[in-house]
Amino acid sequence: MPVTRIFYPLYQLGNPQLRLFRPNWFLTLVRPGKEQPPDTVQFRIPMEMTKCDVKSYLEKIYNVPVGVVRTRIQFGSNKKRNHLNQRVKQPDYKVAYVQLAQGQTFTFPDIFPEKDRTPTEGSMEEMQEKFMEDEKQRQKLDP
Amino acid sequence: MWQDALLNMAACSSAGRVLSLCRRFQNVLRISSATNIQRSAVNVTKYHCQLYRETSPLVSPFWSSPTSTASQCRGLHTTISRRGLEEFFDLPENWGEANVKSGAPWTAKQLRTKSNEDLHKLWYVLLKEKNMLLTLEQESKRQRLQMPSPERLRKVERSMFRLETVVTERETALRLLQTGQEKGRPGAWRRNLFGYIYWYRFKEYAIPWYMNKRYKRKTFYTPHFVQPHMRLRLEKHLRDKTRKANSEKQKLAKLKEKFPLMKVPAS
Repeated sequence: MPVTRIFYPLYQLGNPQLRLFRPNWFLTLVRPGKEQPPDTVQFRIPMEMTKCDVKSYLEKIYNVPVGVVRTRIQFGSNKKRNHLNQRVKQPDYKVAYVQLAQGQTFTFPDIFPEKDRTPTEGSMEEMQEKFMEDEKQRQKLDP
Repeated sequence: MWQDALLNMAACSSAGRVLSLCRRFQNVLRISSATNIQRSAVNVTKYHCQLYRETSPLVSPFWSSPTSTASQCRGLHTTISRRGLEEFFDLPENWGEANVKSGAPWTAKQLRTKSNEDLHKLWYVLLKEKNMLLTLEQESKRQRLQMPSPERLRKVERSMFRLETVVTERETALRLLQTGQEKGRPGAWRRNLFGYIYWYRFKEYAIPWYMNKRYKRKTFYTPHFVQPHMRLRLEKHLRDKTRKANSEKQKLAKLKEKFPLMKVPAS
């Protein structure tokens, strides 16, 4: 993988502030499972990130005013078993609850609205849909 | 230059396609100023990188083409992007689509032509794109629907990987020229308990090694009683090697028997 294990330089009193260039951390905005207050945004973050990291990440990269960040680690279940009766571990992940400052609110939008899927004329999608319809017609049994 | 490519793209494809084609380029378009595109009317984003903390947001972009005069910058704002959390989601036109078109990933060859500032900005563009795709993936899993065009995620990952390789290449070259050191992190060849010789990379400590109790417990030598085990390992390795070579030879001999006019493959 591209970025090898990051070794932070040792901090001693008087050292310059640690700065990270090209961070290799990715946040996933998730829809909250439980009802959250309107100014709270829920993220899944890598385990190595801290609250301060999340705050500076959002403020500097996304220009989002962040008030308070609370984190917790979600244990991924090790209970399920596969066909060989071996336990299958679901990965652990860290969840961050970010409260926005300046009275901003956020609601998770509906990203999969119902859309009228009429493909444009002469396009690949139209040809594919036509082909699929023909196939289904062929597979249908005689009445 | 790639600006010509962008202009070509803008010219030959319809307005709607410009947005959906070449998402990678489109993302870069948002931070470019010189090209006459639909999106340039919207804010040009300036990412809050640590590099730009001191400079004002009105610093002219580095890649301004020779033709960017005041007349062509009519759509240019240098204000900071105010999109905030919206950047975790795709453009609203693409919500609910089954397929979202995207361009090819960046190749290392293309990235090597870019300046360091460009690469730095591109890293953040790719980072935001990847965040957006990850949120989309998670939401699609939640709603039990298919994620539109999951290959975008892999494209972005590859682009980031190549970007990182290019940057490390440049860093090693600079380090070699300035200091003569090949590796950024000091290390040494050391032997471990099992007789293997490996590259031990040094770790930074606040105290010298002779005061470090945990470090002193590490053994960088092989005790005497491990010698028989090493010998057996070596024998096994040699046996394996000769067996492989012999099997190759036998395979070739059999093939030669069946097909006498066969050319021996160069290996």
